[in-house]
Amino acid sequence: MIAVEDLTVAYEDVVAVEGIDLSVDAGRFVTVIGPSGCGKTTLLRAVGGLETPTRGRVRVDGDPPERAQQRANVGFVFQRHTLLPWKTALENVTFLRRLAGKPPDPDGARDLLERAGLAGFADARPAALSGGMRQRVAIARALHLGADVLLMDEPFGELDELTRETMGLEVRRVWRGERKTVLFVTHSVPEAVLLGDRCVVVRGSPGRIVDSIDVDLPRPRDRDVLESDPFQERVAAVRAALSGGAT
Amino acid sequence: MSLAARTPRAPVVLPLAALAVGVAVWWLLSIALALPAYVLPPPTAVADRLVANPDLYVASALTTLRRIVLGGAVGVLVGAALAVAVVEVRWLRRALVPYLVAARVLPKIAVAPVLLIYVGTGEGTGIAFVALVAFFPMVVSTVAGLEGVPEAHMDLLRSLDAGRLATLVHLRVPHAVPDAFAGLKQSTALAVVGSVIAEWLVSTEGLGALILFALEDVQVDVMLAALAVLFAEGLALYGLVVAAERRVGWSQTGGAPGPGQDRSDAAAADRRSSQTGAR
Repeated sequence: MIAVEDLTVAYEDVVAVEGIDLSVDAGRFVTVIGPSGCGKTTLLRAVGGLETPTRGRVRVDGDPPERAQQRANVGFVFQRHTLLPWKTALENVTFLRRLAGKPPDPDGARDLLERAGLAGFADARPAALSGGMRQRVAIARALHLGADVLLMDEPFGELDELTRETMGLEVRRVWRGERKTVLFVTHSVPEAVLLGDRCVVVRGSPGRIVDSIDVDLPRPRDRDVLESDPFQERVAAVRAALSGGAT
Repeated sequence: MSLAARTPRAPVVLPLAALAVGVAVWWLLSIALALPAYVLPPPTAVADRLVANPDLYVASALTTLRRIVLGGAVGVLVGAALAVAVVEVRWLRRALVPYLVAARVLPKIAVAPVLLIYVGTGEGTGIAFVALVAFFPMVVSTVAGLEGVPEAHMDLLRSLDAGRLATLVHLRVPHAVPDAFAGLKQSTALAVVGSVIAEWLVSTEGLGALILFALEDVQVDVMLAALAVLFAEGLALYGLVVAAERRVGWSQTGGAPGPGQDRSDAAAADRRSSQTGAR
């Protein structure tokens, strides 16, 4: 689980986020939405130990972030440019797990690639893969690390809308199977509602959590959900929170 | 359709054809203008020189090669090691890198006479000079490669609390390989130049020295023969480096450097992926 208490992260001349309280129970999928520059990425990075809190406290499964890093208990998926170009897809998937000193599991890595529709591309270098395929490899790498907590920073931000929906649903399907704790940052309202059990709205400068909206939609979710009234109601609620209206 | 596209094996055939045309023009000129051999000997005269005394050219080529390889290896290895050191030790970087970059404007040939004073007139000076000219491109390119690791890759290793050594071994060094090879290629070309200059200053052996001796006797055919061997030697060394790069290198645009790897690979891969049915 993820526990954030009164988190403030300030850089030299700007306060990115202030007074954030956030709790994500183990096995839950929570999305964080907000406009560009609201500090949502900073929040995610602080949870994963890539930013040092100026004030407040972060715990990942009870550990401070550095300890969670050492235990290889946080898996990141960044927006872009994170596959190592000199390694093949398979080597990229196994790389972090190897580095973390966990027992090797080549079959598991191949299985992940296969489930991501990349069975024939294990030996391909990233330059020979499309943007969507590269992100699937990056997700497979985070899953293969075997961390309980997945931190995803706009992982589909550079993809077209259709690919984005397909991959989002794919991540949710995998999440249901593996029961990871997921914190997923996005600036797309439909994506935030489609994927999250709960949608946390961050706004302002410095960024604060202004609302937290439960998304009790049926699961497993598919494209049909996008047309349903409950989905549209949640989208409207998130939009209202983002624009500062009543919730 | 271009000429290159219509000609099979164009990358090999066209340069060879150009060489043949060049030699033919040279030969025709030497006959048509009836120039004396000390101005422009025909290619056949140059070939005769090579055939008549192959031992001289082979021995000279080996002497030059030895100096290039020894001096080049020292320069390149010290350059690579210093690159790692300045990237890992911040104060060393601040102190040295401005000079390493600024040293580009210093003509290395001007340093050679100074080496004569400090290293002496022996073979050591030749090797030291080759090492000196090979050192700079290697160190500057390798520093750029080691430091150019994208922040996103650094974050990836930070997310596992990876140490400096792991970051160096798993990230910085492999990332620097293409830049290091770019430096190595420059170093190789400059090492050949350095070896010839060293021979002019301190040695009586080698292809550079042979050219100088031939000049004294106005033996243009010998000079051209030595030049041809030197060119072949430089080309072979450069070719070896390129071959090594193709084997161990990588590039942003393809699996390995070389022709035939471009963006269309990604599009083709996408189509194959969707056909095999991404679930």
